[in-house]
Amino acid sequence: MLIFVVGVVLFAYANVGLGLNGKIPAGMFEYGIAFAVLVGGAHLAVRWLAPWADPLLLPLAALLNGLGIVMIYRLQQSGRAGNTGGVISTMTTSTTLYQVLWSALGLGAFVAVLAFIRQPRTLQRYTYTLGAVGLALFAIPALLPASMSEINGAKVWILLGGFEIQPGEFAKLALAVFFAGYLVAKRDVLALAGRRVLGIDLPRARDLGPVLIAWGVSLLVLVFESDIGTSALFFGMFVVMLYIATQRTSWLLIGFLLFVFGAVVASRLFSHVGERFTIWLHPFDHVHTTAFQLVQGLYGLGFGGILGRGLGQGQPYYTPLVQSDLIITAFGEELGLTGLMALLIIYGLIVQRGLRAAIAVRDPFSKLLAGGLAFVIALQVFVIVGGTTRLIPLTGITTPFLSQGGSSLVASWMLIAILMRISDTARRPAPQPIQDEGMTQVVRAG
Amino acid sequence: MNRALRRVSLACLVMFVLLLVNVNWLQGFDAASLASEPGNGRTFSEQFQFQRGSIVTADQKVIAESRLNKNLGEYQRHYPVGPVYAPITGYDSLFSATGIEQAENKQLSGSDPALAVHNLIDLVTGKPKKGATVQLTINSAAQEAAFSALQAQGRQAGVVALNPQTGAVLALASYPTFDPNQLATLNGSKLVRNDKRLLRDPNQPLLNRALNDTFPPGSTFKIVTSSAAMTDGLSRRGITQDTPVYAPTKLKLPGVTEPLINFDGEACDNGSNPTGTGKVPLIFAFTVSCNTVFGNLGLQLGGAKLKQQATLYGMNNPRLAIPLPVTQSNFPLYEDRAQAAGAAIGQESDTVTPLQEAMLSAAVANKGTLMKPYMVDKVTAPDLTPLSTTQPTVLSHPVSPTVAGELTQMMITVTQSPQGTAHATADVPGIVIAAKTGTAQTGINNSGLDDAVFTCFAPAANPQIAVGVVVRGGGLGADASAPIAVKIIQAYLAAVGK
Repeated sequence: MLIFVVGVVLFAYANVGLGLNGKIPAGMFEYGIAFAVLVGGAHLAVRWLAPWADPLLLPLAALLNGLGIVMIYRLQQSGRAGNTGGVISTMTTSTTLYQVLWSALGLGAFVAVLAFIRQPRTLQRYTYTLGAVGLALFAIPALLPASMSEINGAKVWILLGGFEIQPGEFAKLALAVFFAGYLVAKRDVLALAGRRVLGIDLPRARDLGPVLIAWGVSLLVLVFESDIGTSALFFGMFVVMLYIATQRTSWLLIGFLLFVFGAVVASRLFSHVGERFTIWLHPFDHVHTTAFQLVQGLYGLGFGGILGRGLGQGQPYYTPLVQSDLIITAFGEELGLTGLMALLIIYGLIVQRGLRAAIAVRDPFSKLLAGGLAFVIALQVFVIVGGTTRLIPLTGITTPFLSQGGSSLVASWMLIAILMRISDTARRPAPQPIQDEGMTQVVRAG
Repeated sequence: MNRALRRVSLACLVMFVLLLVNVNWLQGFDAASLASEPGNGRTFSEQFQFQRGSIVTADQKVIAESRLNKNLGEYQRHYPVGPVYAPITGYDSLFSATGIEQAENKQLSGSDPALAVHNLIDLVTGKPKKGATVQLTINSAAQEAAFSALQAQGRQAGVVALNPQTGAVLALASYPTFDPNQLATLNGSKLVRNDKRLLRDPNQPLLNRALNDTFPPGSTFKIVTSSAAMTDGLSRRGITQDTPVYAPTKLKLPGVTEPLINFDGEACDNGSNPTGTGKVPLIFAFTVSCNTVFGNLGLQLGGAKLKQQATLYGMNNPRLAIPLPVTQSNFPLYEDRAQAAGAAIGQESDTVTPLQEAMLSAAVANKGTLMKPYMVDKVTAPDLTPLSTTQPTVLSHPVSPTVAGELTQMMITVTQSPQGTAHATADVPGIVIAAKTGTAQTGINNSGLDDAVFTCFAPAANPQIAVGVVVRGGGLGADASAPIAVKIIQAYLAAVGK
């Protein structure tokens, strides 16, 4: 399956070159070898470290990562021979190389997670440590001066010596572990105590604490870092994990109401939040101003049509930030509806395999963690793809594995590693000592 | 916890289904409307990536073509004799298109379904995509004569020449005009500057006066009134060109104090009606263009019959496209009899386009059958295989062949009789032109300069070309407009060797 993945990615890469200037792109062979070595290495690591893990997760993630690199290379080249198009801001000639290096780092992190976390429960021990780490990662950009944390109006970065790190991506993982650990410990209290009103089990007032804290933190992220997407992602993950832990619909309801309330208040109080709603509802009234990016993305999707323009033959450079937040529109433009649906189905499969691991695993902590992580992928894809396709208001978050940017890539690979570790635990056959003895006897008799 | 996990997985499924449905809607159903959204740079810039088809005249003269701009790597539209053909080709700019460029865009750009197979073959064989060639019915000799004649007289004017037998447009000129090359520039800011300048120009150079500007028809409408009178009969014995008709010097109109008079208040006198109380033959009244005679016919016919006849000649048609859209020529229903009398001589709120003027003559020339005007003869694929050819179609039958024959006689006397209004300007050696002049009063209390209107066909015995000309503020139709028509007729007949 990995060979197939490498083949698809190389084919796409060759296609970009042919589409752009009728030639096989330079470095095709080297990049191909490098990519094959990387995913091959990861595969061997999985065989060794987590032999029972779900065999589908690694190829699916590798395919997305590979296609992401191809698209970033294509966007870096910008326009066709003869029609150079516009140069995409924040992209340089080494963007693709960086993305490849980050992929290598991501796969390294993937192997490291598998190597160091041999049992998912190991993580449970660090519940509060990771909770604190997660909150700290979230808070750092808000506390840093804008010059060290702000790009394009979003204060979500740590900028150090030319490196850009988006700590929120890692905070997401740390907090998922924290929520899982915390909720496993407290779930009985959260689920059982409380009164029943109108057929809904209401929790006790003091048990509302954690959900209110999570809500508050996500609002703070929103206010101080102008990052609506991450805040929604974080809060959604928390509420769903709470629901999985307690099985009480009331938490979903409370969470949903709090979210709507927060969103409405924020849209009134902060112009940049309210603007998102305006753009969403009336994009074509603001074509040349605030809705430019969204509308250009929509034009790109429309331009792609059913079959797409072909890699290298569209004009995705019209869309600002097409290499990061709106990369899905570039895929839609050049691979068409067909390609976009294939990508969405790949994401759907990853989510489904993650949830299957959650259902199969026996230990409640692992169950909760896998459920939360699988859901967060689904939610992230929904928020960004739904945003770019005008299903919901557009908020800038990365598209897992596809977007330009190292932090997201590394964090996504770590997330896949945790899911694979859990699925390995779930599918590992229990030791069967009696049968072993029987076997021994047979051998001895022979 | 598994029950909750299953529900979460269901929720994830719903989210993905929503995304899938939404992208299907966007890329499947909404794609076309997104593409036509104004300001969608992709749609417009895409069309400069390949060679758009050429537009050629009937005699194979290229009037619009795409040339590769080596510096930009894009194809630039080029109009070799820009202003001459501007109202025909229109322009194809970075932002918009007009004229044939717009009407035949699907063929020129190669996006027409008929070209899908060609495009697929080109894609497979690796040949660059190329649009189809659109061949017009325009005759370059007639067109160039039309343009230089309009340019020489210098006023706002429009002219159309038709082949009466087919409806094919032979020439179509408008003045003042513009150079489409200025709008075909690939330099966006230059384009905006040129566009603004043209839009601000009080002479409206972008307006296609041949098709989209309307004028009062004046006395040329007497063709319609005569048609109605001869078709309807009016009296028991019927009415022909020789029937004596009442020809007062002043025609009293019901409910109006001011009587209808002839040009300069003259009597309508053929030698036997010096006092302006008797009758003259219809053909004489037509030749010298007596207002009182036709006003009186209008009184007798009434508004409804006049409207019916005008509509048969092609007026009151809001949807005519040749394929360029044509502004409607108006003849409303006049309930008031005095108004009907005025309308019968082409005043009141009657309006016509120069094309409509040409259609009046074309119908008479074609024995009473009006052909639908058209400009696109055929479309050929890049490999020269024909994709479509326009077949002439009948628009209506305004008059019977007999009435058309009599109208032809009446129109011949306009140029051939010494008393005819166009005798001085349209009696050309070697060619018998059948014509009608019009001098339409404009402005409040006729204070404006008269519009000069002229409609004709030639040769009268074997009609090859019908022409309609309107010159705004040109004065007498015979003086300003007739010479333009004559030049076009001479150039065309010389070119086709008849």
